[in-house]
Amino acid sequence: MATYNVHVTIENKPGISDPEGETILNDLVLKGTHKTVSKIKTAKMLKFTIKEKDKKTAESKIKEICDDLRIYNPMVSKVTIDVFDA
Amino acid sequence: MSLEPQELSELKSKIGREPTSTELQIVAAEWSEHCSYKSSKRHLKMLPMKGPLVITEKGYDSGVLDVGDGYVVTAHIESHNHPSAVEPYGGAATGVGGVIRDILSAGTRPIAIFDGLRFGDIEKDQQARWLFKNAVTGIADYGNCLGIPTIGGEVEFDECYENYALVDVAAVGFGKKDKLIKNHAKKGDIVVLMGGSTGRDGIGGSQFASDSLESEDRSAVQIPDPFIEKLIIEAILEARNENVIHAMKDLGGGGLSCAISETADALEIGIEMDVSKVHTRESDMHPDEIMVSESQERMLIVTSKTKFKKLQEICKKFRIRCSIIGKVKSDNQMHIKKGKKTFAHLPTDVVANATLLDLPSKKPSYLKTIEKEKKLKTISDYSKTMMKLLASPNIASKIWVYGQYDHEVGIRTVVKPGRDASVLRLDHGKFLSVKIDGNPKQCYINPREGAIGCFEEACRNVVCTGAKPIGMLDHLQFGSPKDPEIFWTFLESLKGLTDFAKDFKIPCVGGKVSLYNETPVGPIKPTPLIGVIGLIDKQPQIPQKIIDGDYLIIVGDTKDELGGSEYFEYIHKLIGGKCPTVNFSESKKNMKSVLEIIPKQLLKSVHDCSKGGLAVAVSELSLNNQIGCKVSLDKVPGKKLAVDRVLFSESHSRYLLIFDKKNLSKVEKILKKNKTSYNIIGKFGGDKIQFVNGKKSVIDLRVDKAQKTWLNSLRDLVLHG
Repeated sequence: MATYNVHVTIENKPGISDPEGETILNDLVLKGTHKTVSKIKTAKMLKFTIKEKDKKTAESKIKEICDDLRIYNPMVSKVTIDVFDA
Repeated sequence: MSLEPQELSELKSKIGREPTSTELQIVAAEWSEHCSYKSSKRHLKMLPMKGPLVITEKGYDSGVLDVGDGYVVTAHIESHNHPSAVEPYGGAATGVGGVIRDILSAGTRPIAIFDGLRFGDIEKDQQARWLFKNAVTGIADYGNCLGIPTIGGEVEFDECYENYALVDVAAVGFGKKDKLIKNHAKKGDIVVLMGGSTGRDGIGGSQFASDSLESEDRSAVQIPDPFIEKLIIEAILEARNENVIHAMKDLGGGGLSCAISETADALEIGIEMDVSKVHTRESDMHPDEIMVSESQERMLIVTSKTKFKKLQEICKKFRIRCSIIGKVKSDNQMHIKKGKKTFAHLPTDVVANATLLDLPSKKPSYLKTIEKEKKLKTISDYSKTMMKLLASPNIASKIWVYGQYDHEVGIRTVVKPGRDASVLRLDHGKFLSVKIDGNPKQCYINPREGAIGCFEEACRNVVCTGAKPIGMLDHLQFGSPKDPEIFWTFLESLKGLTDFAKDFKIPCVGGKVSLYNETPVGPIKPTPLIGVIGLIDKQPQIPQKIIDGDYLIIVGDTKDELGGSEYFEYIHKLIGGKCPTVNFSESKKNMKSVLEIIPKQLLKSVHDCSKGGLAVAVSELSLNNQIGCKVSLDKVPGKKLAVDRVLFSESHSRYLLIFDKKNLSKVEKILKKNKTSYNIIGKFGGDKIQFVNGKKSVIDLRVDKAQKTWLNSLRDLVLHG
């Protein structure tokens, strides 16, 4: 068994609006001098530390947990899972 | 896409050619049940819509009532059932947004929000708890951000809503009569789209709402943005004051397709628009997508070229985008272009008026036996039953829900939620009382009497505040109308509502029909929801603290009507029995008496008997005032009944009047003069809720213990399962 850090990023699906990101872009970033920025998207990240036999199992286990416990709504959110060695 | 084959051939014969893909999208959106009311419209005409206070104007999305001194009140009801069932937070929030823009369209400021929520059995079903919790948060977040108080509503749980949600939102607006938008347009006027950008969210939402919820793979999810909505409200109201709006419509179901075709049809004009002028969220959107996108927080405005400058200034001030997307023509066509290329060119009356259906109906077979009662198990301890009822999700205090809503912002709220109906102060010294009510359990047993019962209950609630009902909103929610048995229940409910509205002279000022509410386990129970708007000329009945020695009178007879009651369904798990029936003349008499006593300021509190019957109604008074009471069941007017029936019957037209002993003769004088059926049934005092039958004790509960259960059980259930 090895220890892995698993990062779960939850964001709105592409095409679904993201008022928080748009507000940060329009009312904060673009109001300054940072005119090269064209888009900001907000997301939520959960960082899990898990002991599993390999990377693949760690990823599928975390996916299962997030699905079961309704940590995100599959209708709205896109979920990306990244696994790192601890 | 949901144009049926015969609809497609009809469209072809009407326009005399093959429709383009954009035309197909537009027509499919507009001819969907959600936008066209094709199954119900033919029948909705039976409702009385006119009255001395009703102001009608073409193209209004909300009902307008004249409340005197140059002021008007607007009201509208909408539902967001399908979107809320898949994404409760966003679905419920955008539902609030939609109905608020309908109020705004008439040129009035939204001043209050009401919501009626229905979910599956939250005691057993985790999904129902998840839906409930998130829908409530969605409404709270959206309403609170806008600074509009959410002051009333109702919450109910029933197994028929398994894996589903009914989220109904009503809103009330207030404004000056001379500032109402008189929708008009003439050739050469320009068409402006203001508000949020158009994106791919909610594409096909109205068709989605007109299909049963089978698969979850839909894109009809909408993300709420209350801050843009707030800016839109302020910008529109300023534009209204500057007289720069000729006509206005909010973009709801069907997006631009519906807004353009309905505006053009209502105003008898043509509109030519260019989709490349619409401000979009993504650059690669196809004209079809732009036309049917249901992105939230958008308004369509018709104005003149000269006034546009002012409108643009206002939009700039509030930092809202606005784009000229088209112009008004006189050819009664909707002409959709992208640059120079035409994508759709259709007569507006063809688009805006789907062929109405005349669906068959048949009395459901289950109704033959439903009124027969099965033998009930005997109950030895009614105190225990009472505690169980006070803890049940349908009866327990809803403070966990309305506690999350800001119900005082705007400083109009005179009577707060948690009582019968909330009361709002208006600017000209009058008061407004509004309540929404539904009862699917009774409507299932008897669709006609159940619907009338909802109507009367909503009336009762506003009457308890001293308000005279002046208008009604109906929201009719049923399963698939293609099932003749379901359609029969729709028609019966509608006929019942029509009879009551005509008899009581309460016009229907607005409404909505939501069909195809089907869950994976079948259709929902018939769920008409009725909103009643009441007006108080002078002082509302503001509940005062009940103290030791205060008297309790019940007005109205208690009958053997326990079908659909919480006692039968929750305690005995029995669906059936006789549905409570409203006797119109009795109902009128009781209403009249209560409305005659209230202005004399003789009463401390007035409460109606509804869910859970007399036992629950009296207990609520005790629990709200933290005082005991002693009620004699043998004194309750009506035919002699077994004690459990007197306690828990949900007969209509009953009011509880609480007053100081010294006012007894004055109260009785009015009741006697009107030949009202009533009796003194008890007194308040002590620290126990007691119901006795003669000398025999039936229920004996400590107020503090009962209060703890009643106040906390819903919250505990939601948060801890």
